[in-house]
This record gives sequence, C-alpha cells and structure tokens, in this order.
Amino acid sequence: MTDPVISADALHVSVGNKTILKNVSFTARRGEVLALLGGNGAGKSTTIKTFLGLMTPSAGTANLLGQNVQLQPDIVRQKVAYLPESVMLYGHLNAVENIRYFLSLAGKEKTDDDIALALKKVALQPHAWQTRLQSYSKGMRQKTAIALALLRDAPILFLDEPTSGLDPVAIDEFNGLISQLASQGATILMVTHDIYGACHVANRIGLLRHGELVGMFDAPQDGNIDAEVVHQAFTQGLK
Amino acid sequence: MMFRIWLIAKDEWRYWRRSHLAMTVLMIAVVLAIASVVVTFSTVSLAAHQRAHLQSQAEQKFVEQPDRHPHRMVHYGHYLFRTPPPLGRLDPGVDAYTGTAIFLEGHRQNGATFSGQQHSAGLNWLSALSPAFVMQILTPLLLIVMGFGVMTREREAGTFDFLKIQGVSPLMLTIGKGVALAGAGFAVLIPVAVGALITLFYGSSILSVSAFVFSYALYVGFWCALVLLVSTLSRSHVGSFSALIIVWVVTCLVLPRIATNTAVVTVHSPSKLETDFAVLQKLREMGDGHNANDPAFKALKDNLLAKYNVDSVDELPVNFKGIVAQKSEADLTDVLNDFAEQKMEEGVAQAKVARQFGWLSPAIAIQTASMKLAGTDLENYQRFLREAEAVRFAFVQSLNKLHAEGLSYADDVNKYQSHETLQKAKVSANNWQVLSDFHFVPLPAAERFAGSIQALLQLFVLWLVVSIGVVLAGRRQ
Repeated sequence: MTDPVISADALHVSVGNKTILKNVSFTARRGEVLALLGGNGAGKSTTIKTFLGLMTPSAGTANLLGQNVQLQPDIVRQKVAYLPESVMLYGHLNAVENIRYFLSLAGKEKTDDDIALALKKVALQPHAWQTRLQSYSKGMRQKTAIALALLRDAPILFLDEPTSGLDPVAIDEFNGLISQLASQGATILMVTHDIYGACHVANRIGLLRHGELVGMFDAPQDGNIDAEVVHQAFTQGLK
Repeated sequence: MMFRIWLIAKDEWRYWRRSHLAMTVLMIAVVLAIASVVVTFSTVSLAAHQRAHLQSQAEQKFVEQPDRHPHRMVHYGHYLFRTPPPLGRLDPGVDAYTGTAIFLEGHRQNGATFSGQQHSAGLNWLSALSPAFVMQILTPLLLIVMGFGVMTREREAGTFDFLKIQGVSPLMLTIGKGVALAGAGFAVLIPVAVGALITLFYGSSILSVSAFVFSYALYVGFWCALVLLVSTLSRSHVGSFSALIIVWVVTCLVLPRIATNTAVVTVHSPSKLETDFAVLQKLREMGDGHNANDPAFKALKDNLLAKYNVDSVDELPVNFKGIVAQKSEADLTDVLNDFAEQKMEEGVAQAKVARQFGWLSPAIAIQTASMKLAGTDLENYQRFLREAEAVRFAFVQSLNKLHAEGLSYADDVNKYQSHETLQKAKVSANNWQVLSDFHFVPLPAAERFAGSIQALLQLFVLWLVVSIGVVLAGRRQ
C-alpha cells in the first residue's frame, strides 16, 4: 500500500457557532478517485475548501502528500488543481487568455499546442477559444476551467460539482477524462450530487450528511460501485 | 513574486483596455492633462513675455518724459509688472487672484491690479484648467473611477479564492492592483512632468523641478493607496465607490473651504475699508508734504535753518520744499509699511492656519507644496509687493532729492508766476534715469524647497499611513 495522497484526520470545521464538518476522516491514495456525495449543506464544498487552505479547521488536520495544508498552504497549493462549482474565470478574457494567465500565475508555462490540446480534450468548440468568457454558457466556462485544471499537471485534483452545467455528451467525455487522469496517477477528490456519475468514475464514495461522514463505499476490483446501493443510502438519509 | 505582481498589474490594464468606461476616463484625463499643460504653458509664457515687454516699455516711457518739475514725475509714476516664475506655467497659484502689475507713485502704496479673477466675472476657477488643477482635483477622480472595483470585483466574481489557489497571496494581488493603479495615475502625471522638465529651459532649478514632480508623484501615490485600501475593505463595488466619492468631496472640496474659513475666524484681519480709514487717519496727523509751511514741518525747518546758520528758507543751499517732500515721503512710507506689513503678516498667519489642514487633506498639502515650489504662493506674492515698494520708495526719493538739490527754492515757489518761471522750475530729462531695471524673481529654489517641507511631510505621512493600511488590509484577507 502506498501512503495516502489526500488524508482527512478527524476534521472539524466551524463557522461562527455553526459546525460544518464533524470529525471527518478519510484517505485517498495515488490514482484513486474519491467522490463525496451529500445533500445541500452536507459539508462537501467545505471539505474541499479546507484542503485548499481557504478554510481553517478548528480541530483535526487536512494533509496533502503528507503535508499539513494549514501549515504550508503555498507549497501544497502548487500540487493542486481545483475546479470550483461556479467557475471563477475572467469574463474580459477569452479561454486561451484565461488559461495562459492563471497558468502563469501558478508558475506553469504551456505552449499554444498544449492549450489547444487541452481545450480539444474538454470538447470546447475551437471557434469559441478566442471569444471572451462573458458570452460563454455555464457549460463552456466549465470546460475552460477543466482544461485549466488539466494543464496544471497537478498530482491532486479537487473537483467541486464538476459536471454541473455540462450536457450529457460532455459529462461522458469528462468522466472519461477523469478515469484517464486517475490511471495516469492523479489523485482526485470530487464532490457531487450526481450519484450515477460518481459511481461510474469513483473508486470510493463517501456519504456526507450534516457534516458527518456516514458511509464509505468501495468499488469492487473489477467493476463500479453499485449506484442503487449508494442511492438507497443517500435517500434514506434525506428521509 | 515580482513576476506575478507584474502579471496582475498587466491583466488589470488589459481589463481597463477592454472596459470602455475605464479607458475613456483615462483617455479624457490624459488629454486634459496634456491640454492643460499646453494651454497654461503657452498662456503663462505669453503673459511672461508681455509683462517683460510692458516693463521695459514702462521704463522707456518714464525716461522719455520731457523736462519737468521733479514732483510732477513723482506723480507721473511708474508701473512694475510681476513676471510669472518658470514653474508658474504649471501652477499659476495665486497669480489669477492677485494683481500682476503695480502703479508706483509718490505718497501712495497702490495695490496690485489686473488679476485674471477681476476679468472673469468670478468664474476664473472654472476656466483656469491648469495642470495643477487637473492633478490636484481631477486625477483623484480618475483613480477612483478606474480603481474603486479593483479588489471588490475579484471578491464579487469569486476569482479571489481561485487566485489564492494559483499561489497568489492576497498581499501580492493587492500590490499588483496597486501597481496597475499607479500606472494610470502616472500616465496623467507624465505630461505634467514633461512640462516641468521644459521649464528648466526657462530658468527653473533642478531642485524645484524634481521636488515639484516628486510632490505630485506622492499625491498620486496617496490616492492610489487610498483607492486600493477602500476597495480592499469594501464588501461591494457600490460601497467602495460611494466611500471614495465621499472622501474626495470632503478632502478636495469641503476641507479647503473649512480651512479657509477657520483661518479667517481664528486670525482676525481688518477689512480693506477699515485699514484704509486707519491709514488715512494716521497720515492726516503727519502733515501735507506738498505744503512746506505746514506746522508739522516746523521742527524740520528750524533744524535746517540752525544747521546752515541762516534765517529763512530762501537762504538755504537746498530747496526746502524738496527736503519736506523727502521727509514727508519717508515718514509716510514708514506708516504705510507698518500697515502693509501687518496686513501681510495677517495673511501669512491665516495661510499657516489653513495649511495645517494639510494633515487631513492631501489636496491642501499638494496645493501648498505645488505653489511654494513653483514660486506662486502668497509669500512670493508678498515678496513682489515688498520689492515693488522698495523700488517705489527709491525712485520717489531720488526725485525728491533732485527736487531738493537740483531746483532752487526761489524757482520752485515762483513757478506759476509766468511761462518763463514755469520753464525755470523744471529739471532736465537727463535726470529721469532713476529707475533700476526691475525683474521679479521668486525666492531661491533652496528656500522655496525649505518652505514646502511641511507640506511634503504632510503628503508623505498621509501616503505612509494609507500604505500601511493597504498592507495590513491585504494581509488580513
């Protein structure tokens, strides 16, 4: 067994008097896709933000590649690519300019061919590449952000509702990309509402409810996690 | 880190280039700055040329006068013109409100006349779009319009967190935005800096020009830092814009008025009418210099008769009327100078009170620094008045001396008896060479710089305080 790449150890996060995460622990190893499922307010996005160093745990630790995120956020962030739920790119820039700008800020240099390849991978229409993002649909923005995440060449990917806004074809293509990246050694933590999509790509699925990790489902050696089982566990909690 | 800051600044400029509002505002500001430099430069240069020409013309006319009685020349008088200093081409200062010429004559200290304000129906402050006005009042507005959303925009769009994940620290982002904003401010400053450099060819000193440009750079730096600070602390771009506009109105429009009113209230200065009456009252007690038999000059007459050991003024080797004119002028000048000095001291005291508001308003601080360095402040105007009075006294007394020594008492008192006696009571026009070449120059550069230190310090302290605020606010995000 390799050391865990992503590791939450008794994470506890509060905002004011409100507790968002309670004693959450999980790990993900190299090449694994871990999906966190949960309803609204379950603490999914907070988990990712804590790993990104944007929120500070009141107890417990969030480690990436064995390093405490809170102690060395800048070093840890260099190894991370992040795809936010609502894509936060610049409307005054086109897709290529956005990607080039954020890559430069992250200290990554990529050629035009690399960027074109990434944009093709996420199936963004070439005629849209030079159009400013302010006129993009949510799905097109999402694709641009995914291309950026791919180009970061980061060993760890955090994906917050990555397929929201994508059409079914793009979702299939995206899931294919995730599997491909995982097979190349990337460790992926994604949070989603999409049970079937998660079961399709994830090796493990954690179920969050009111800030607590209430279940963990592992994929069998030669197949996917049973979506019906997860669905049942998910909806039981909602009832 | 520097590379990332540069990238952030470059992207902000790209945003402004693509935002029509920001680019339009910047273009207008730069064009206004260039236009104000060109127009004010040429206007003041023309005025300087005209005044120099009028000065030599006035001197020429004086010496070209025919043979006359010396006292007629005392009343013929002479004009002195205040040539604007080289940096006055960028900041005319009090020039528009004070007179530019003084009519010098015997027994009177006339005020300066022909001010721009007198000839513009009181709207001079609107029409005079000087580079100083553009920099002091309009440039902060430009920086507000361009920069109020630099930080709030990132927060509202959610890009702030995304930038953090790319390894951009909040402080780095703040500094990058600050560099971009400073670029916009300096784009407006460049035409003024170029104008200041050109004044070197008109006689400006390097010290004055450097300090002048530096003071405006500090002022622009202050506004950049303030815009950045408010944008960093504000939750929304609406809040940021509103707060900045309020600060601009208070510091650029309201506080200067409050400063002036406070100065007037704290340092009482009698009105012109009151002063004129007081002067008149004092002069009446001194006797009439035109009447040698005025009892006020009895002591002078007795002393003179005793000195030359004669019994009547007819026997004196000097013209008693001329001696009386000399004595009367000297006494009268002492009185007039006392009142003038008191008035000027009150003006300076009021200005000092108003300038203390520079600790609160950078607009007041830059106005003070700019006018002092340009040599167009109140003190330099008073210097002109003092120099003009010295010239007036010297030329009037030269003519009075000529009256006393170049014209006999007998010829003087009998001058209206016939045409011949009138001709005899004149002196040669060769004697009119009593005027020295007058060319007003402001205080030396080092003294002007010394005078501006408090205002520069005010600007520096304000900039430092706000900059520290920016760093602290940047780190806290």
